Amino acid sequence: MQKRAHAIWVIFFSFFVAYLLAIVPFPEWAMNYRPEWVPMVLIYWVMALPHRLGIGSAWCAGLLLDILEGSTLGLNAISLVILAYVTLSLHQRMRMFTSLQQSGLIFVLVGLNLMLCHWLQIVTGQTINVSLLFLMAALTSAIIWPSLFQLLRQIRRSFDVH
Amino acid sequence: MFADSRFGYLEKIRFGLGYATAPVYWVADVPTRVSLWIDDVFVSHTDLLQENELLREQLLISQRELQFMESLTSENSRLLELREATEAISGEVLPAEIINISPDPYSKRVLINKGANDGVVTGQALLDANGLMGQVDEVLPSTSWVLLVTDFHHVMPVEVNRNGERALARGSRTTASELELEFVTQTQDMLAGDLLVSSGMGQVYPKNYPVAEIISVYADPGQDFAVVKARPLAQIASTRHVMVVLENETAPIQVNSIRDPAATGPDADEFLPLPVAQGQVIRRAPTPDDQ
Repeated sequence: MQKRAHAIWVIFFSFFVAYLLAIVPFPEWAMNYRPEWVPMVLIYWVMALPHRLGIGSAWCAGLLLDILEGSTLGLNAISLVILAYVTLSLHQRMRMFTSLQQSGLIFVLVGLNLMLCHWLQIVTGQTINVSLLFLMAALTSAIIWPSLFQLLRQIRRSFDVH
Repeated sequence: MFADSRFGYLEKIRFGLGYATAPVYWVADVPTRVSLWIDDVFVSHTDLLQENELLREQLLISQRELQFMESLTSENSRLLELREATEAISGEVLPAEIINISPDPYSKRVLINKGANDGVVTGQALLDANGLMGQVDEVLPSTSWVLLVTDFHHVMPVEVNRNGERALARGSRTTASELELEFVTQTQDMLAGDLLVSSGMGQVYPKNYPVAEIISVYADPGQDFAVVKARPLAQIASTRHVMVVLENETAPIQVNSIRDPAATGPDADEFLPLPVAQGQVIRRAPTPDDQ
């Protein structure tokens, strides 16, 4: 019981740091290259602990991200839910992948997440951005993924989160 | 999601969740505050003396200007009295700090460190030392989002200070921090370098605050309207210290979307009771700020 509470704390903390990195202001030219921290952390935890984190936690994480970014409530929530669903259905295969293959998959998943957000923003009239430069964030996410994966795995093992 | 963007039932929920997100902003702001603190602590004695001297000089100059302003103000109010009009007095201001900006480069919004607990409501104007910055768009418990004048959702009525020509200033549709004047005819008298001030017509912003300076006027004879671009005077990208104009307690005018902050301006006081007294049915027409 003690261990379980401990483990939850580690997951919450990793999300907290991801939120921080998601809202820290960047210079304007770098805005489109900001890695998508929250989706990546979510993918990791769903992949590592599919019995603990799932669609419900993805929904909550998305709602908080919406509040933080000041976007329409539910925008990130719905795209993170879809992301979590895809990850849940792929997690066994993903664990077998090499880190390069994983990065490729992250590129696709984060790109899907960004695309969904973008479509929903256009539908709700929140953006008029027509360039696809924002998809560069998927590339930076894929580049960062192997190190993030190693880091989170170390954290998970040392705190014995399961 | 559509409930949120179209109606606004969820504002309560957003407000509640705002409590949960406040610590994240607080921590995200720590590096800036630490660097400011270090600047404050490790500043040399001579620097301080120099700065002190400079500030004294500036104070003198400002006082002189203030005296000049006072004479102008009294003259102005005498003139206005002649017209049986009352000057809209600018309300109390609340100093605030910008602690974050919107992660989407196309949405020009900033987060300030004052919220509902400090008496901020939607629709209040935000200023910095040089000019008007925007209006409060969404209020959270201890923070609020401000829609900048350069956001493409934002349209405000302005007039040219030199000759009173009126126009609508819309935020740029690009990532540039610029304003575009809409529906300016080819014959209107506008020149690069002209100062634009708020005209107070949208009943959101107080009158006569400096907003922007025209940087280019392009009149293509084949087009209906001239293309006029302006640069906001407020240091939108660099300033941290801003002021929220707190209003006197006017009932906010209801508008039907959260994108449209309710209008509570000194002008609202000034204009609304009048037509009723004259026995007319007045409904607030959609003003340019309701975009």
